[in-house]
Amino acid sequence: MNRFPVIDLHMHTAVSDGTDSPAELLARVKEAGIAYFSVTDHDALRACAEIASLLGPDDPRFISGAEFSCRDALGKYHILGYRYDPGAEPIRAVIETGHRYRLKKLRQRLDFLYTELHMPFSEEDERALFALPNPGKPHIANLMVRYGYAPDRNAAIRDYLDLLEIPDDYVQPEEAIRGILGAGGIPVLAHPCYGDGDQLILGGELDERVRRLIGYGLEGLEAFYSGFSEKLRREVLALADRYGLYVTAGSDYHGGNKMIRLADTGLSADAPAPEGLRRFLADAFKTQEA
Amino acid sequence: MDIKLAGRIDSDNAAAVEKQIFSQLADGKEARLDASDLTYISSAGLRVLLRVSKAHPDMRIVNVGSDVYEILEMTGFTEIMKVEKVYQTVSIDGCEEVGRGANGTIYRLDKDTVVKVYRNPDALPEIQNEREMAKLALILGVPTAISYAVVRVGSGYGAVFELLDASSFSKIIAQQPDKFDWCVREYAGMLKKIHEIEVPKGRLTDVQADMLERAQFIQPYLPEASGKKLLSLIEKVPHENFLIHGDYHPKNLELQNGEVLLIDMDTLGAGNPIFEFGSIFNAFIGFSELDHAVFLAFQGFSFETGYAFWRKALAAYLGTDCKSKIDELETKASILGYMRLLRRAILRGETETEQGKTAFDYRRRKLIERLDAVDSLSISENELTVGASLRNLAEVQQFIGERLSSIRCPSKTQMQTALVVEEVFVNVAEYAYEPDKGRVTVCVDVAKDPAVLTLTFIDSGRPFDPLQKTDPDVTLSAEQRDIGGLGIFLTKKLMDDVRYEYRDGQNVLTLTKNL
Repeated sequence: MNRFPVIDLHMHTAVSDGTDSPAELLARVKEAGIAYFSVTDHDALRACAEIASLLGPDDPRFISGAEFSCRDALGKYHILGYRYDPGAEPIRAVIETGHRYRLKKLRQRLDFLYTELHMPFSEEDERALFALPNPGKPHIANLMVRYGYAPDRNAAIRDYLDLLEIPDDYVQPEEAIRGILGAGGIPVLAHPCYGDGDQLILGGELDERVRRLIGYGLEGLEAFYSGFSEKLRREVLALADRYGLYVTAGSDYHGGNKMIRLADTGLSADAPAPEGLRRFLADAFKTQEA
Repeated sequence: MDIKLAGRIDSDNAAAVEKQIFSQLADGKEARLDASDLTYISSAGLRVLLRVSKAHPDMRIVNVGSDVYEILEMTGFTEIMKVEKVYQTVSIDGCEEVGRGANGTIYRLDKDTVVKVYRNPDALPEIQNEREMAKLALILGVPTAISYAVVRVGSGYGAVFELLDASSFSKIIAQQPDKFDWCVREYAGMLKKIHEIEVPKGRLTDVQADMLERAQFIQPYLPEASGKKLLSLIEKVPHENFLIHGDYHPKNLELQNGEVLLIDMDTLGAGNPIFEFGSIFNAFIGFSELDHAVFLAFQGFSFETGYAFWRKALAAYLGTDCKSKIDELETKASILGYMRLLRRAILRGETETEQGKTAFDYRRRKLIERLDAVDSLSISENELTVGASLRNLAEVQQFIGERLSSIRCPSKTQMQTALVVEEVFVNVAEYAYEPDKGRVTVCVDVAKDPAVLTLTFIDSGRPFDPLQKTDPDVTLSAEQRDIGGLGIFLTKKLMDDVRYEYRDGQNVLTLTKNL
């Protein structure tokens, strides 16, 4: 019996909100016996460049990855990009747009804390925040706890930071998908039933959402996901089948920040793998070799 | 100790909740999460549950409210982990009792719903089982109600059914005497319908095996001959796989919007329809014949009305007004009924009291007496057993007449048959036994294509072949003729074939006529 190889195409390093350095993550990937992997930091490409430079000839097969947080009038999405050219302008533009929005939001939040809630930070701490590759609410919250403005990080976010609503200025799913495609990459919708990670989107709503994203150029669905039940998996696989999309498998490993094990995707080594997943592996990993 | 989940679990606190759960699970305890106070769970929360269940495959989430349950069900999480709903609590204080089954009592909650409260405090498997039974019955074509929710009633459980503005037959009989005959007809009609439904093999309890067990149980309490006979009677019942309701009394029939529903499916079984009648006999007679107040309290109408209902229902079921035929079924039903009551009394220790002992002895005496009065438990529409006495000739004629009318037999044939029946029956009554001893069984069979009528007379009297008699010389004058031989002569003339056989200690005379 040919066992299907171990795959994990969705994981994070400390470049975004994971805890492992790229080198540590590579070591764990090898330890877990993963044969095909990708690193998908939020709105950042840096870890991929580093991993690519660390790989030896006998190491697991790797492709570049990224996860973009997107939003439009109809909802929130996490879009994964795979096997893009990291130097290509279109994907860099998406990252920069995202970063610009993030810095703008950081500025708005700090101003809000200062003027409305009278919670000032030192200039040095503020500069350090702006220098982070991916600064967001958790980083500000950590600082608030350190200053004694809030008892813990969750309280800081819930009781203070979330008081300020910042409506627009998000990367649109269409922008992200076009950016990935423009860099020769493959855009895939992450954990489709869970939206941006904390929603529940099923049935007709999911179908409509997938069709809309296909209109922008979406090419795949992450049907195998650590947080999915068999039923959710079947639902996403059925959609992938219906629209002829790629299928991917990812754990969403975050190191010590979340208790997700690497390679926990729900994909069985003994069950026949869906056609969309075989096609993804063939297309995404072959082209890079050439 | 349970791990409490409270409020919401979403992306804000999922990580914290997860850490907390894992810290409490550290020392290999049973993973039991109490969701009583959990109001909402987002997908981040679902992922926490999934990870806990992956680490602890025995994890159970209990007391899950309906909102959270809906999310778990919708996402397929109820299929991959053990999730137990919290049950709404319902009070039956002041609710009218509308039905009673072997394992529970049914109360009306409001005009649209009833709840069946189970006697067993841990009845969840029973409720599930009865639901499956009701579904099966519905698939097989029995109009019934299927429960849609499980609730807490006191310290036990109940199953909630929709029963719109329905009235039980008991209530109709008690309150609308003019509907009595209608109730009898519907009651008997529904029973016949059930008894025509073949149950797929292995789906339901084999009632015959169950009855045999009961018979074996009470055997030591009976005289040896009676005990043996009881067992052999039950063993000899032809094995059938027809649907048996098991608790078929007027409280379990409901009239809803002009439709008759049969409820209370916890005793469904498969077998020969005769086995249905033991519990019916008890419902109308066995339980309450020594104290008619018991019947009134249960059904809401008098024992006498109940007895009349029982007799009319048997007549309608058998399709005959022939008293012997109805008596015969009542006798057979009473054997199964008394057997059940004796076993029940022993199991419940009822013989400890003076009153219980008296009842036990009465039923035991009745059972022994009835066992002596029958040769089989089978009931056949086409068969009648009566005492071999001239008094019963009219009964036999009525019975055969009804059978022949029901197949639209030409009146000439009916007349000729009546003549033959008289000759043969009188022969048996006069010669087979000592006066007023013994029984004779008459069977009527009609084969189609070609249409042939077969009459069979069976008695256990002294061996006697009427065909051995020489035909009378009809040329002789009336005074000179041999009396007995003329009847057999006539019989041979009017029928197309007459055969005699002495088999298993019985005289079997078979008469056939081509129609």
